[in-house]
Amino acid sequence: MEMKALIDKIFQKGRESGLNDMEVYYSAGSSLTLKVFQTELDTYNLSESEGLSLRGVYKGKMGYSYTERVDEASIEQLVRDVVENATIIDSEDEEDIFEGSKEYKKVDSFNLGLSKISEEEKIKFVKKLEEEAFKLDKRITSVQACVFGDGYGETIMSNTKGLFLEDKSNIAYTYISVVAKEGEDIKTGLAYRTGNDFNKFIAEEIAKEAVDEALALLGASSVKSGDYKVIIKNSAAADLLEAFTGIFSAEAVQKNLSLLKGKLNEKIASDKFTLIDDPYMEGGLASKSFDGEGVACKYKKVIDKGVLKTYFHNLKTAKKDGVETTGNASKGSYKSSIGISPSNFYVEKGERDLNEMIADLDKGILITELQGLHSGLNSISGDFSLAALGYLIEGGKISRPVEQITVAGNYFEMLKNIEETGSDLKFGLPGGAYIGSPSLKIKKLSIAGE
Amino acid sequence: MLNRKLIEDTLTAALSTGGDFAEIFVEDRTNNGIIMIGGKVESTMSGRDYGLGIRIFKGFNSVYAYTNKSDRNTLIDTAKKAAKALEGPNLNLTINLTKTDVKGINTILIDPSSVEKTKKVQVMKKAYDTAFNYDELITQVTVSYTDYTQNIMVANSEGLWKEDTRVRSRLGISSVASKNGEMQSGFFGPGASKGYEFFEDLDIDHYAKEASRIAVTMVNAKYSPSGRMPVIIDNGFGGVIFHEACGHGLEATSVAKGLSVFAGKIGQQIASPIVTAIDDGSIPNQWGSYSIDDEGTESQRNVLIENGILKGYMVDKLNGRRMNMDVTGSSRRQSYRFPPTSRMSNTFIDKGSSTPEEIFANTEKGLYAKHMGGGSVNPSTGEFNFAVMEGYIIEKGKIKEPVRGATLIGKGTEVLNKIDMVGNNLLQSQGMCGSVSGSIPANVGQPMIRVSELTVGGREGEK
Repeated sequence: MEMKALIDKIFQKGRESGLNDMEVYYSAGSSLTLKVFQTELDTYNLSESEGLSLRGVYKGKMGYSYTERVDEASIEQLVRDVVENATIIDSEDEEDIFEGSKEYKKVDSFNLGLSKISEEEKIKFVKKLEEEAFKLDKRITSVQACVFGDGYGETIMSNTKGLFLEDKSNIAYTYISVVAKEGEDIKTGLAYRTGNDFNKFIAEEIAKEAVDEALALLGASSVKSGDYKVIIKNSAAADLLEAFTGIFSAEAVQKNLSLLKGKLNEKIASDKFTLIDDPYMEGGLASKSFDGEGVACKYKKVIDKGVLKTYFHNLKTAKKDGVETTGNASKGSYKSSIGISPSNFYVEKGERDLNEMIADLDKGILITELQGLHSGLNSISGDFSLAALGYLIEGGKISRPVEQITVAGNYFEMLKNIEETGSDLKFGLPGGAYIGSPSLKIKKLSIAGE
Repeated sequence: MLNRKLIEDTLTAALSTGGDFAEIFVEDRTNNGIIMIGGKVESTMSGRDYGLGIRIFKGFNSVYAYTNKSDRNTLIDTAKKAAKALEGPNLNLTINLTKTDVKGINTILIDPSSVEKTKKVQVMKKAYDTAFNYDELITQVTVSYTDYTQNIMVANSEGLWKEDTRVRSRLGISSVASKNGEMQSGFFGPGASKGYEFFEDLDIDHYAKEASRIAVTMVNAKYSPSGRMPVIIDNGFGGVIFHEACGHGLEATSVAKGLSVFAGKIGQQIASPIVTAIDDGSIPNQWGSYSIDDEGTESQRNVLIENGILKGYMVDKLNGRRMNMDVTGSSRRQSYRFPPTSRMSNTFIDKGSSTPEEIFANTEKGLYAKHMGGGSVNPSTGEFNFAVMEGYIIEKGKIKEPVRGATLIGKGTEVLNKIDMVGNNLLQSQGMCGSVSGSIPANVGQPMIRVSELTVGGREGEK
């Protein structure tokens, strides 16, 4: 194998330069993106790319470097950078190269069926998606984005302690964002699908979801400022959990950047709240058998009925806390150093659906979308104040759409004030992790409007 | 970076199926990043990005393909694969490349790759020490160091052939203050299109103290009130309000397809008559500056709004075709992995005539947003949201107690008309702007402005 030979040469050069344990991470992939605008395929993008990174221990410290020119000529620079980068590390935390777990569960994240879908079929699908949206309602005046994309990726992790792991996966995604207009009122609606089963991408369904969302928001206005009972709809609740995921990282805890420090085995949330990280979840888009350090992944409850059971660990943070790693080391790409990330991470669902939850509410607000999640919250303090869209609930029914409001609170307090979790568990768009939540009913949050 | 014959043959292959324009972009970039937490270097990463992107137009449609390999077979093959997405008779365009020198606007004095990393670490340690020792409430300080050198080449079927080098440097200081089990943070991230001299000339102590001062002020602050009120937004990063609420809507990316609320409004009054706004990628050494854009067009000063009247958009080649408008040197991308499109560079509201003292004195009651955090906008509806990193209550024309956790929301078109005072203290500040063609360095800026009424979201009720 060509790649094995190159890796051997890198290790050899590394040894000559004084590196001790070393690891190569290689990834390669291809992708296709199709965008339609007014019935024409106006964007067609394709790619083939690869990259390789090396990390290695030099005088007890770990150095990293990478290159996108994967060839013999790059080896010298790669090794030199690792040595120089290791030299300036003065953190005492030890980072090790891992020799391998006893056993790895098989995870199948490659779907042969998807790789056999022809380009014509994909183009037909994405054109139909736009067409359907316009067909559904006259008030749909434009489609902001109508996109289909898919990609294939493979990774190799190989180290001088004898570990050699390979993985391959493919994924497809589609999304449509529509604009509805009535008089001067403009609203947008978005719907998406992700996964590697193309048969589950049904244009009519996706278009309808986006159109319905935009139309339902027409005529929205603000509400009076004050404290309200709030139901955060599943997708918005998942977005909020994603923004706060960092607080569960042992690294953040050890660096005094998480208020969950010292809270293990303490009750930090309502009894109704259980939080699970399941790398083997069926249909999970972050499913994997090994983590960014080559450690076998495992299922865990992070919060069990309100009690904090564990943080997310990699080898370094686990060693520091004197515990076993939870198999949550992340390696976002060959460009990243080792970090920490969950896999399929979700709030356990409850028993009743959203309609039943609404029916109980005499007066409150259903939040369907939270905006500005990268800026309007402080993951350290837990404070958030976010622009939101949704509906006013009166007498157990949705009475009208709501816009131009902000919802504010503190995440740590909110966890304690969860009165109910719905049965409608839904996952957001996959990033490094795949994060889901059912709708959450919160005792009280502060709404600013008129 | 590539020889003439290979470029010409690749462009020819790209045009084989009826394309009317083809372009190659080559990028060879060296990155250096260092993270220091708690005064210790925690991680370092350096590496080399290398890739090529081939773009083809046929009318309003575009095709883009990229690869990491630059050998002849891969390039011709990639061009042909991309061309396959189009159908039509070959127009047999003649390609006659003329290599043109680029007039560099950003003078680089010290190549960052010539400086030892231990020196870079000393810069970080200085920032850490100052920030950490600012106050005993400071419990953690994270310092990040970044430099990169990006060599690019652009060539297209119209004969353009240019090469350029872009060097950028940035320091990030994030301080956390803790009190009674609560934490608040403050951030400053100065950067420039400069080499290592940027760090030597930088007033590190000033920025380190500011980051810590914000964290300490906010951990001692009460929650912000909520409701509609006048808001004074200070200079510098306050310009993010214009960037988000208006700037994105003036990019051809959203204007060309009629998706922006500002589409079709050239010559119309879209803002208060005291508002003039500019996008200028040609200011020497600024963070968002470049000699040529990613299509090879020289950067220039673009007046977007003059005395409240919409004057122009930021236009790239492809969208320019749809809009029948000339390019404005605004076509940018994060890397070869993205086709370029119209983006902002250094975007700011120009200075007005009021002094900050006058603005405060004329404000009976409201919110003073001294430092802004980030925000986002929906370009179709114009709805935006911004976080206020450091805020204060204003009463009877005076700055009163600090407040935390405020968010400003509104609609771009409305806020532009509600700017009723513009200060004389223009300042630009650095940020990263994310959009369709990736994350790119951009300056935001403005003098102090007052918005007569905005919705403030906070945790306390109305006052």
